[in-house]
Amino acid sequence: MSSIKNRKSAIKNMQRGLHRFALLVAGATFFLIIAGALVTSHDAGLATEDWPLSNGQVFPEMVGNLFWEHGHRMVATTVGLLTIGLVILLYRWVFLRFVKRLLGMQGHTSLHPGEPPQWLRRLGLIALVGVIVQGLLGGLTVKLMLPLWVSTAHATLAQLFFCTTVALAVFTSKSWVQYDLTVEEKGTLPIRYVCAAASATILLQLVLGATLRHSATWDKHLPTELLVAHIVGAIAVALILATATFLILRRHPEVKFLTRPATIAMALVGLQLLLGVAAYLTRLKSPDDPQPLHPMVGITVAHVACGALVFATTIVMTLRASRALRSAPSWVTGEVAASRGI
Amino acid sequence: MFKQMKGWFALTVILSLLALGSSCGNKATNEATPETATTGTPFTPTGKEGTVTGVIAYTGAAPAPKKIDSSADPVCGQSNPNLSTEDTVVKDGKLANAFVYVKDGTTADGKKIADYTFATPTDAVALDQKGCHYVPHVLGVQVNQKVKITNSDPTQHNIHPTPKSNPEWNQTQPNGAPPIEKTFARAEVLVPVKCNQHPWMKSYIGVVKHPFFAVSAEDGTFTIKGVPAGTYTVAAWFEKGGPNGTEKTMQVTVPASGSGKADFAFGEAATATSRPGGLQMMPAIEVPMIARH
Repeated sequence: MSSIKNRKSAIKNMQRGLHRFALLVAGATFFLIIAGALVTSHDAGLATEDWPLSNGQVFPEMVGNLFWEHGHRMVATTVGLLTIGLVILLYRWVFLRFVKRLLGMQGHTSLHPGEPPQWLRRLGLIALVGVIVQGLLGGLTVKLMLPLWVSTAHATLAQLFFCTTVALAVFTSKSWVQYDLTVEEKGTLPIRYVCAAASATILLQLVLGATLRHSATWDKHLPTELLVAHIVGAIAVALILATATFLILRRHPEVKFLTRPATIAMALVGLQLLLGVAAYLTRLKSPDDPQPLHPMVGITVAHVACGALVFATTIVMTLRASRALRSAPSWVTGEVAASRGI
Repeated sequence: MFKQMKGWFALTVILSLLALGSSCGNKATNEATPETATTGTPFTPTGKEGTVTGVIAYTGAAPAPKKIDSSADPVCGQSNPNLSTEDTVVKDGKLANAFVYVKDGTTADGKKIADYTFATPTDAVALDQKGCHYVPHVLGVQVNQKVKITNSDPTQHNIHPTPKSNPEWNQTQPNGAPPIEKTFARAEVLVPVKCNQHPWMKSYIGVVKHPFFAVSAEDGTFTIKGVPAGTYTVAAWFEKGGPNGTEKTMQVTVPASGSGKADFAFGEAATATSRPGGLQMMPAIEVPMIARH
């Protein structure tokens, strides 16, 4: 009896550690998105012609715009290292089994209870590949002097990487692993599909926003066509997210697992719309300013950060909808069985 | 099989990006394609050349210079505590830093000015970074004439021209670094130059095929010397008034050994033939363009 208890506790601790580390990676990535947005708003992307070093140095004198550009690189390096750490955590049992097999020790074939499933480990690997490609895109955009397509790809991949780290945090969370209250979909329009459509719409809107931001520096006016497209995108996001939230609150008001992210996402969208209007107004004036001023920089960066949060929350909502509104994944039930010593 | 393919695909993407990144250094982008139109009659002065003179006026109330917050780099604040914008420098109703050049026209013997070729001056035009701003704010060079860029500040700068017809480049110049010499292979009025270290730093370089250009002085006056007798379209460019500045033109006749007058006015009540967005190639002297990359 006590051995089962100890085992359960060990699994719990292990999951908690992994989840906390995944949360740390997601938090650091969010900070990295803010750092990247600060580079764009200050037009600091080319403050040095070098990459990966800055002016040939690992720690250059961080004055002027080099503070933002090199600071961004330092945060990015930290996120890269954290992602490697997360992958090591996800693969540590696989690695231990490999070592045991090499040494001819016993137990190299048995799975450790609570060991992350293969698909979760692979998601960690995808995150690692993502952060490497993201770093290379960052270098490419400096070397090619900020071509629109590379800068946009860099900004878009940043959001996708953030979304991957958030997903990793969700999949390792206690609420996800222990959730066993599957509810059947009600109504004709499945909530899971609406949530997925909302995620896809937000991603498209983020691509549009990134293109808009990188198509003109602070001293140039934004292209009208892209601006209109981004406004239309904002309306589409607000409508589809409102639909998803409405359906969740109406059909499953008692399922906090779903209502919580839905409510947060909706509140964030409201804030994001206000920030978008404010960002537009400050950006409209900035070509007449002598330099990027704090209100414009602060508000546009907040708009980018809030956009990332809307995306992340919608991803959480979508994943949870898929978890709560249909049968649990086999790896969780397998783990529960293992934890019970079956 | 499918798993292996996925692995190879990921590896290929990473290696491709690495290769692309390493091959896209500044070297390639710094290579200016040489001016191709070397055919034409070499211009030979006859000794009877004249001048185009004039004054650039600014009508209405000139906007006050805006104070620049240079706290991001303490050196800038120390070396130039009164750093402010230089886009509209007006004194007694006269505008400085307007770029004036012969845009088109025909000489007295019936030849288009665009049909002549002009020797490239051997002396370099200076562009300094002093007190965290570019000195001068507006300058002119001939195609392929050297621009010698120096850094007199005890801080690092980076020089980043953003031309439309010439190759773009970006180069860091730490304090104490030797001068950088660059040329522009194509005529382009005007090439904006910025510093990504200090975003307020701006300069404009007018690149023309001939030596018939000038920049208005503090009192708004300018003189273009050595102009052969003829009738010309003279253009004046001012950096405000449109996303790429404002250009105005007028017809001027230059007599042999004489002087033609070209007075321009910018500002609120300015008229004449203004064309917002003057940062373009000179159509009359333009040579066939080759794609940049």
